[in-house]
Amino acid sequence: MTAALSCGGLGKRYGDLVAVHDVGFSIAPGQAYGLLGPNGAGKTTTISMLVGLLRPDTGTVLVGGVDLAREPLRAKSRIGYVPQEIALYPELTGRENLRFFGRLFGLPRRALATRIAEVLDLIGLADRADTKLGTYSGGMKRRINIGAALLHRPEVLILDEPTVGVDPQSRKAILEGLERLVGDGMALLYTSHYMEEVERVCDRVAIIDHGRIVADGTRRELVSLVGGADTVELVLDGDVEAACAKLRAVEGVAEAVRTGAASVRLMADGGRYLLPSLITAVEGHATVTATQVIEPDLEATFLHLTGTTLRD
Amino acid sequence: MTLRPRPVAALVAANLRRHTRDRTGLFFMVVMPFVSILFVGMAFGGGAGSSRLPVGVVAPGSDAVTAALLAELREHPDLEVRPLEAAEDVRSGVRAGSLAAGLVISPGAGRLDLVVTQTNGSGLAARGAIDGAVAKVAAVLEATRAVVAAGATPEQAAGYVRRAQAESGRVGVTGSATGGGDPRGFAYTAPANLLLFTFINSMAVAAALVESRRLGMLQRALTAPVRRRSVLLGEALSRLFVALAQAALIVVVSALAFGVSWGDPLGVAAVVGVFALVATGAALLVGTLLRSPDQAPAIGPPLGVVLGMLGGCLWPRESSGEVLNAIGHLFPHAWGMDALLTLAEPGTGLDAVLPQLGVLAGMAALLLVTSLVLFSRRTPART
Repeated sequence: MTAALSCGGLGKRYGDLVAVHDVGFSIAPGQAYGLLGPNGAGKTTTISMLVGLLRPDTGTVLVGGVDLAREPLRAKSRIGYVPQEIALYPELTGRENLRFFGRLFGLPRRALATRIAEVLDLIGLADRADTKLGTYSGGMKRRINIGAALLHRPEVLILDEPTVGVDPQSRKAILEGLERLVGDGMALLYTSHYMEEVERVCDRVAIIDHGRIVADGTRRELVSLVGGADTVELVLDGDVEAACAKLRAVEGVAEAVRTGAASVRLMADGGRYLLPSLITAVEGHATVTATQVIEPDLEATFLHLTGTTLRD
Repeated sequence: MTLRPRPVAALVAANLRRHTRDRTGLFFMVVMPFVSILFVGMAFGGGAGSSRLPVGVVAPGSDAVTAALLAELREHPDLEVRPLEAAEDVRSGVRAGSLAAGLVISPGAGRLDLVVTQTNGSGLAARGAIDGAVAKVAAVLEATRAVVAAGATPEQAAGYVRRAQAESGRVGVTGSATGGGDPRGFAYTAPANLLLFTFINSMAVAAALVESRRLGMLQRALTAPVRRRSVLLGEALSRLFVALAQAALIVVVSALAFGVSWGDPLGVAAVVGVFALVATGAALLVGTLLRSPDQAPAIGPPLGVVLGMLGGCLWPRESSGEVLNAIGHLFPHAWGMDALLTLAEPGTGLDAVLPQLGVLAGMAALLLVTSLVLFSRRTPART
């Protein structure tokens, strides 16, 4: 299957400063791909090269198999790009802004009004479409900002921090809408400072730092890259000391510490998959009455890989 | 879905709609020019009908020379002769401003006393007209004297001179049309305000362009399947339409409401069109160089006012002096005024304003090329 968006060997330098070096990834239709990185890591430079705003020094971008450098107009018509800033006319209404983008992308005249109505429904703003954008809340503006990129039914949607300054309700609506679009087969490239959004929306994540992709994979793959073991907490009823000794002997358990009268904390690789063995191991000495598996999260992985937190 | 991108149409439609939402901007386009034409026009020589300079004349003598001079003054298209009794009336009239100038003709024409104020433009204009009339009479006297000296009788001499005058009559008419200085009243303030407001409002709409750049609209537009030149063209046309609409509005309303006669439609269209291109180029340049949209109204219109002053759009340029008018001709307004005032004279057409059109076209080309190159360079991707 042709990738909806793929890039390879992308590089951009400004004098001595290497902004992006050898960045490459591929996004299949219906796949959501996250790009995580601290500020200045090269996320926006990478995206600018993907949407044709910036000419890369090296590397190629293929949109649905079309080379962006050779056939920019054909390639661009398959991309929907949502910039970080609200790039809309505040003097115009939501509908008028969408009409502008519809014309810009060349939607057929007759289909334009219908498609605008569809998009307004999709982003849940049909009832506010005819008031001026300047009167909208931050979340509503963000939704129009996304809607403007959907009018021409792009094969791949590229979002640069789409939920900055958005109220929880709008954030929920935006994320649900994106999940629906991905479910319908649209490819998605998503960057955000909000780890939980990326974890929720994206199937695959690349971590970019100092212009290079330092890790790339599913969430679990990334987390296991750090070699981080799960923490498993057990509440036991019975001979806790004897149970603890038994638990230490289970394969994969690195450590078992008694943390209270009835509680034990284990460090274990793939802790959640060990649960049945753990419960079996204590049989005859104690009964497991409660469990909690705490996985190392992406945030910890990110910190480990980049030496910085996302929200700096 | 087959996509046929219409970036130029999209940008023009969106930008024009944005301008219609700007109430202050609309007020300055639709109301202000006419307020200015009306008030300045009334202050400066009344309306289009009474555009003649009032000149008080004291002429106690009834000799041939006095009669000839009075006749010449009365025939002058720019002068309205008001006979007065005493030289003192002339002086007080000029001082009070009810007379543009005064002339005391002593009997026998041995002596002419001209009363004008040096600081007043219409005084200078009246002086020019009176000088012209006096020169004509003097020329007749001189010619008659020469013919008599050559041996003719005074009657024969008068006959010869009359015949010579009749033969040069056609030339004389053309001369009087161009020699009378600039027109007065609405005939002057309408073209002056056309140039002034077309330019100022073009500068004001440059704010919208700065805003578009600041919002990232142009960046975003360039991610659509469109060419960079189409986006530039769309932005340029948006400004040009505003300039043309402003100019057309002033031409039509001033013709209908103030009876201003603009002259040859083709010539006026050419001058206005080229001037609108100049204003568009200036607006694009300002819109490209400024960083904040608030700077555009703070810098653009004042610049437009200053150029308007130098070009004679705020007050009659005849009162500005030669140096100022020469400086004014470094900028487009003065050339626009030259062209529009020339066209307003009967019998002139496009060919009479070709030099001015050439200068304006050169300015427009320079501004448009510079601004589009800068504009294109300053719209790169942000990193």
